[in-house]
Amino acid sequence: MSTVPCNVSEDEILAYCAGDLDGEAELAIARHLADCDLCRDDAIVFTLLRDDLARDAATAIRWHAFATPFGTMFVAASDRGLVRLSWNLPDADAFEDELRRRFPGRPLLHDPGAAHLADAERQLREYFAGRRTRFDLPVDLDALPAFDRRVLEAARQIPFGTTVHYGDLARRIDHPRAARAVGNALGRNPVAIVVPCHRVVRSDGSLGGYGIGGITYKQKLLELEAGRRVG
Amino acid sequence: MTLAELACAPVVMAPPRAAPQPAVEAWMHAYEPELRRHLARLVGSADDADDLLQQVWITAHRSPPVTGPGSNVRAWLFRVATNAALDRLARERRRRIALAHHEAKVIPEAPPPPDADDASAARLDARARSRVRDHVARLPRKQREAVWLRWAEGLDYDTIAARLGCSTDSARANVYQAMKRLRAELADLRESRTP
Repeated sequence: MSTVPCNVSEDEILAYCAGDLDGEAELAIARHLADCDLCRDDAIVFTLLRDDLARDAATAIRWHAFATPFGTMFVAASDRGLVRLSWNLPDADAFEDELRRRFPGRPLLHDPGAAHLADAERQLREYFAGRRTRFDLPVDLDALPAFDRRVLEAARQIPFGTTVHYGDLARRIDHPRAARAVGNALGRNPVAIVVPCHRVVRSDGSLGGYGIGGITYKQKLLELEAGRRVG
Repeated sequence: MTLAELACAPVVMAPPRAAPQPAVEAWMHAYEPELRRHLARLVGSADDADDLLQQVWITAHRSPPVTGPGSNVRAWLFRVATNAALDRLARERRRRIALAHHEAKVIPEAPPPPDADDASAARLDARARSRVRDHVARLPRKQREAVWLRWAEGLDYDTIAARLGCSTDSARANVYQAMKRLRAELADLRESRTP
């Protein structure tokens, strides 16, 4: 075995490791790897990286964007369900930045065909068109604190076209004095609309707060559910 | 999927048809000496080479190469052998790097109990992989998606090109650029440091 510089390029080693060569070209590189320490080192690293990627397939966060009456809607999902729904963003890069902050180190992938995302688009379109009153979509809230998860699970049970007060929801999760904490947890809802945090309002009749884009959108969603057109 | 598995994948997908014993025996007779030398040079140990050679014959029997005009059984056998060796070398290197990182840690962790070797190895392994994942996450979008679709999702370049809205050549180029960039950034994965 020698470490004399060789004339095989990094791309050729890569092509070999990628399975892109065949016949005599492939054989020549295979044999070269036995002779050249440097190229073998390259091949080992490429193999290792490939193997790591293959074993990480389940960690990707996939996203998709489509037009709605609220403007471009961005949705993202893990293998387990929706993790983020967003709008009011300048472009896809802004959405990816958001995902990177929420899911550090997880690979992001624009994947309109992914099962949860195609379902989300279809169901949201039906919802905006007034043809759907409940979402049949898995959500993955694992990245959230346990309290937020409980609040959002409780909010999911509020039927279409109805509203409850922050205090009602606090009682439903057995924290009757935690109305303010409930409001904060709803404000952090990563999958608005699908988890209908807009159906939670203040006991004095005012709307309370809303995360994405502010109160106008909460108003619009409640009007949509009351049977009025949204624009 | 490991390299060795990938090499056989098209054959595995076909209806199972083991190679007739005489064919494998003929290949062994014709190619075993040079394959053994090849493997020994790759992995640096005669025992490991014999072990890998067994794997090659098992693969050749279970999922034999297509034979006929234009086929190249020798090239196929070298591919299966080389990929099996690279898989093994990559696993060994991952383990060495993980241990080195562990030992270099300034913050003392509770030493793993002696009977928990598998669990602690798995933990070290997971940490090493999360580093690779961090670097993948920081690649430019097209490279990141191309390399992910190729290796995590196992798509071919034509399908990747359709997904990314680019040419097949560009899909391949993006995969290559991503792999080279990862290799450059994760310099500690390398052992030969001669320029």
